Amino acid sequence: MPDDPPPFDVPRCLERVRQHDQDAARELVDHLYPLVIRIVRSHLPRRVPEEDLCQEVFMKMFTRLGQYQGAVPLPHWVSRIAVTTCIDHLRAQKRRPEFRWADLSENETKVLDNVITNANDVPANDALASHELVHRLLGQLKPEDQHVLRLLDLEQRTVAEISALTGWNQSLVKVRAFRARRKLRKLFEELQRQERQ
Amino acid sequence: MNVTDPKHPWSRLAAAARTAQPAAADTAPYGFATRVVALAFAHEHRVVSLFERFSLRAVGVAGLLAVISLAGNYSLLSAGGPTDDDPPEDDAVSLLLED
Repeated sequence: MPDDPPPFDVPRCLERVRQHDQDAARELVDHLYPLVIRIVRSHLPRRVPEEDLCQEVFMKMFTRLGQYQGAVPLPHWVSRIAVTTCIDHLRAQKRRPEFRWADLSENETKVLDNVITNANDVPANDALASHELVHRLLGQLKPEDQHVLRLLDLEQRTVAEISALTGWNQSLVKVRAFRARRKLRKLFEELQRQERQ
Repeated sequence: MNVTDPKHPWSRLAAAARTAQPAAADTAPYGFATRVVALAFAHEHRVVSLFERFSLRAVGVAGLLAVISLAGNYSLLSAGGPTDDDPPEDDAVSLLLED
């Protein structure tokens, strides 16, 4: 049975990157790519290809690598860059698309109608439609509020983990979550009102 | 009903959304790392080159200013400055002492 590959030696790799070793830099990109792509996919602003956003995150990482002192683990530091980059793109889009029943696909309309009018769980085969609906609904919130709810409700992270990932203090995370949930509650009330009409 | 309530439509939608598997792979596309690293290192080199170019230009401009100021004040420099024995013309204290 083959041995497991040795764990990635981040400090050694960083040392080589700082000495302009391009092989080490490529290894670092490959090592961090799954983390960055996961963040980018979950926050992807409209009309921005995921690969472009990933590239921007890594370019920022290399530009700022001289400032990295190792006070936080490298994945946390890189995830903050990724989150900030996505939020900046979301902010730049300014106008958030209005949530309208007419824009939903047939399946999304059915799923939303079901969750609003009855208390049953969503069937497993409607997971993708639910995923799309959740992202459309989150798109109605401010970028920072969207980010907190994605981490809390979709990735099921704790407030402490979100604080470490974003660099926001725990009180700020709780305030943003509270504000985002209040906005969502109002949105659902509005959807229910439209449904009854 | 609160949004955090498991029976709230949001909670049920989020629970279903969590089960949706991402279709795309999470490994870097072929050539992605090479392209990013080449761009990052080229960008770094360009920043250094710009610094070098502006530094050299600043040295040139400073040298030119030094030559112009020397040429402009050549007559003063060649005539020699005032000696320690000569009191400054507009020094009130030295004028009073001379009287």
